[in-house]
Amino acid sequence: MSRRMRFVVLVCVCTSSLYAQDLAGIAIHGFVTQGFLFSSHNNYLTAQSGSGSLQWTDGAISVSDSLTDSLRVGIQLHMYQLGQLGGPNIQVDWASGDYRLNDRFGIRAGKVKTVIGLFNDSQDVDTLFLWTLLPQCSYPLDNKSFYLAHTGGDVYGDLPLGNRAGSLRYDGYAGQVTFDLNGGYLKALVDEGFVFTTAPGGKSYGGDVRWMTPLRGLTVGSSATVETVAGSAPGVSVLVPSFLKKEYYAQFAKGKFYFAGEYDRSPANAFVTFGPVTIPVPQDLRSWFAMASYRMTKNLHVGSYYSHYVNKALDTVLPANYSKDFVLSGRSDFNSYFYGKIEAHFLHGTAVGYYESTNLRGLKPNSTMLAAKIGFSF
Amino acid sequence: MRIIRKTRWFILLLGLISCRTAAHAQDVVLVANSDMQISSISEADVRAIFMGTKTRLEGGAHAVPVTLKGGSVHEVFLKHHLGETPDEFRTQWRKAVFTGQGAMPRAFDSEAALIEYVAATPGALGYVSRVSPHDNVKCIPIIK
Repeated sequence: MSRRMRFVVLVCVCTSSLYAQDLAGIAIHGFVTQGFLFSSHNNYLTAQSGSGSLQWTDGAISVSDSLTDSLRVGIQLHMYQLGQLGGPNIQVDWASGDYRLNDRFGIRAGKVKTVIGLFNDSQDVDTLFLWTLLPQCSYPLDNKSFYLAHTGGDVYGDLPLGNRAGSLRYDGYAGQVTFDLNGGYLKALVDEGFVFTTAPGGKSYGGDVRWMTPLRGLTVGSSATVETVAGSAPGVSVLVPSFLKKEYYAQFAKGKFYFAGEYDRSPANAFVTFGPVTIPVPQDLRSWFAMASYRMTKNLHVGSYYSHYVNKALDTVLPANYSKDFVLSGRSDFNSYFYGKIEAHFLHGTAVGYYESTNLRGLKPNSTMLAAKIGFSF
Repeated sequence: MRIIRKTRWFILLLGLISCRTAAHAQDVVLVANSDMQISSISEADVRAIFMGTKTRLEGGAHAVPVTLKGGSVHEVFLKHHLGETPDEFRTQWRKAVFTGQGAMPRAFDSEAALIEYVAATPGALGYVSRVSPHDNVKCIPIIK
């Protein structure tokens, strides 16, 4: 049994004795998950999923303290292994000071999770979701690090609109974002023979506005971010000039039902330079998903979603330029801390989640996949 | 005869226990630190405070929500005043915690411990069953 698996088993065995710790105002929380991927035809997300893979482990621990009524500081450390991505290195997920002047205005500074779309800032917190994999067309697991957080600052607040109009929640940010040296974007370049020792990155700014409507449970919102990316490695440089990524979304929760949908567009045209030759890589990425779920019992939750991605700048008939994923999902909470999930994926197209180096016999356009996870959170 | 009498007492005891544990909305009261300068609170404000979107009361005083770890009073309060199940409530707060956007309210094993904390902490706001002794704290009516 691998060291990773032994750790997961140990944590699961200890569920009855572990609680969120609060030591004189210092709050400590954490989670750990172990996943399993088994797919037909293609290997997914750099794991050897074709023969069944347990190379999918996540863990995080957060520590925070309220220094005054208005000032809170904290840090979250995160480790992940997904196939050939991630590794034993512990990363700072977020580390910030949060000064909330009043309910209408607050400031966060440091490394801050980026609030865009429905799930961007929480996409790596598995315990929050029914889904084993979030819609990969909008929240690709292999490339999550780039959008997940920025080093800089946010302003945020809640603006009440009166009893009959709900409230408006806003978040604006500016900062620096970088690729994960062990993440999917650079893995794709490593597969082409280009090894980056310094992570490409650039400036990023944007914001999110969401309307908590007077109909309880209904939220609609929109996000916009402007990104620039530049980086170089021996023999190659990459530049993505400033581009605007836009997202529109809505969610509705009523009783045991939950519905959500999101659309985003990202015209991120890139330029790759090899010596004197510059090759344009046109991209007009459009993705959307629609999901619904139902809580059957206190401990059993089921749902389904459809996730769609296409690069409109290229030939959309080719499987390499689109991805469609129909998903059936179930989750059981064994107690307040410990849960299990299982999910079936029916995948069409190969634009998202596949790498040449882990599919040396070539990619088949269609495949199916079983994804399962157990997790523990306190 | 003695068996019948004993059985009656047993049934009565069971009845009392079930009445005691099956709490209703009217059996739960909002309690606050006695220095808090409010005489009532709207249900919308209660929801906003316990969900973390509102941190200050009218007049600017800081609000510190505290909860019970579980039990029927906890479930009834969440259901009737927040419209959430304990799982949904926990998930919302875990989202805030793991994204760095908030700190989970302090949770107590017993109503006595919660009341003791509320009595000693300026701005603290919690809930207990109506029958629990709450001499050192202030009961705040919730207005629909």
